[in-house]
Amino acid sequence: MTTSPSETTDTGAGSFADWVGEVASAVGSEDWSADHGTAKVMVAADAWHAALSTAKLELGLVFFSYLSAIDWANDVAVGDPPAEPVDERYEVLAGVADLAEGRIVHFSTTLPKDGASLPSITDVYAGANWHEREATEMFDIAFEGHPNPVKLYLPDAFEGHPLQKTYPLLSREVKPWPGTVDVEPMPEVADPEAPSTENPEA
Amino acid sequence: MTIDHDTLRHLSDASVAVELETEDMTLNIGPQHPSTHGVLRLVAKVDGERARDVQPAIGYMHRGYEKLAEVRTYPQITAFINRIDWVSGYANEVPFIAAAEKLMEIEVPERAQYIRLILTEMARIASHMIFMASYPLELGAATPLFFALRDRERVLDLLESVTGGRFHPNFNRIGGVKPAAGAGPTQKKASQDLPKGFLAGTHDAMDKLLATCDELESLIAGNEIFQARTKGIGVLPGEIAADFGVSGPNLRASGIAFDLRRHTDFLPYDQFEFDVPTGRNGDCWDRWWVRLEEIRQAARIIQQAVDAIPSGALQAKVPKIIKVPKGEVYVRAENPKGEMGYYLVSEGGQGPYRLKIRSASFSNISILPWILEGVLVPDIIAILGSLDFVLGDVDR
Repeated sequence: MTTSPSETTDTGAGSFADWVGEVASAVGSEDWSADHGTAKVMVAADAWHAALSTAKLELGLVFFSYLSAIDWANDVAVGDPPAEPVDERYEVLAGVADLAEGRIVHFSTTLPKDGASLPSITDVYAGANWHEREATEMFDIAFEGHPNPVKLYLPDAFEGHPLQKTYPLLSREVKPWPGTVDVEPMPEVADPEAPSTENPEA
Repeated sequence: MTIDHDTLRHLSDASVAVELETEDMTLNIGPQHPSTHGVLRLVAKVDGERARDVQPAIGYMHRGYEKLAEVRTYPQITAFINRIDWVSGYANEVPFIAAAEKLMEIEVPERAQYIRLILTEMARIASHMIFMASYPLELGAATPLFFALRDRERVLDLLESVTGGRFHPNFNRIGGVKPAAGAGPTQKKASQDLPKGFLAGTHDAMDKLLATCDELESLIAGNEIFQARTKGIGVLPGEIAADFGVSGPNLRASGIAFDLRRHTDFLPYDQFEFDVPTGRNGDCWDRWWVRLEEIRQAARIIQQAVDAIPSGALQAKVPKIIKVPKGEVYVRAENPKGEMGYYLVSEGGQGPYRLKIRSASFSNISILPWILEGVLVPDIIAILGSLDFVLGDVDR
């Protein structure tokens, strides 16, 4: 097999991008992308529940893969900030797939940082239950109508939301070493584009 | 006083008609119970012999990998994602590496792809063999353990001869695989490849493995106790499984012939013939049988791959310092436990901006409150075991 790993799986009539466009228009969205074989459809927060219902009932995306979020922040406590300044927001992602052709669509919506709240989709996909609880405790995003909105992983008395970008990596605060070692820059190399020495003859 | 038959019947009717005042008992299983495969706690309300409202309590092993990934470089992340599902550590690496490679638009040499595929299937066999060993044991049959672990050992030895690791190989590099451990310290290209005798040895081991599968089947499948404990127990319909995101062998046991290996573009599965076994009833028995059959199919794939492996480089040209271009990609693979996916968000740095890890066992055991509703208490153990989860894969 000599196909490039960046090519998308073309599984049927029309190209992959056409299909993503069709999914987007079926849920009333014009904002979508199909880069790197990843189908992403952006929907408004108030269309979130309806879009996922359509996905399951009309588009045959019956398999619930995951739900999670991204904290887009310019001020970060750990790691690198985004390459360019971004709008401060949460992006909620839900991946739903079909069980015939191996296609998965990632629905995305944005929420403000203050009082982030989204209708729960547990009535559409039962599997969203635990994923929404995880997103609530990790990011502080409320899911209205969730049947059991309690902590999932974290102890009940835990304060803070660990996957927020402003949340420090606590082990490093308590004990700087060995954490300080790996935040040092990588050793300078004369030519960073030079081939790796690990396999010199490749 | 004489009691005639009518009086007796009347008496027994009366005793049945009395509303017994019963109280549900709360039964706590775990977090350290052998059947929980780690540290899972179940809080079950027990009404007589029936379990009601079972709530799993997880998080005892949460290691914060998603947070950790934000402060680590790509090569460092490869090392710790081995530990997500440690029973099949190798299989966790490949989709993550493939995600980074997609963003970097690197073409992986064919030989490296074949090696990845062979080792991934070996990880699948190792994982399923653990299931073949532990599941009958949980139901009271000790013998299969020795057969299954003996053959798992063969597979682990082969994995070790290539990667140097049995559980956590950390063998993939962005662009290919690292020079084989069994090759020794030399830098010569010819000796960096797979260790001598690996291909023939693999062929041999797979033949033995297929014989063991037959032995395991004759040992367990015909056992009346095993049948009674598993047939018709813990029935999971396909549409419910999909709704909860249950994937892998558990989904296929429910009759849905969906296998991501049929739809993957970063490993050359399309070059080989293999079947996707499915169950008829979605019960514990089917979940056991599907995994047994998957071992056979994995051995079949490995034998074909060993015969067809092309020669060539193990690595594509990559820069010394790995920086992944800005972009987002989701890559998922058919891991032994089910769908393993990584949503990788790169901002062009040496590490991800965000890495969402979609692990199979997490969704697989989110079905527990549904599937354990109203089952007999001893069946809890049979159903738990049949779902074949690893707590590292649940908690991440």
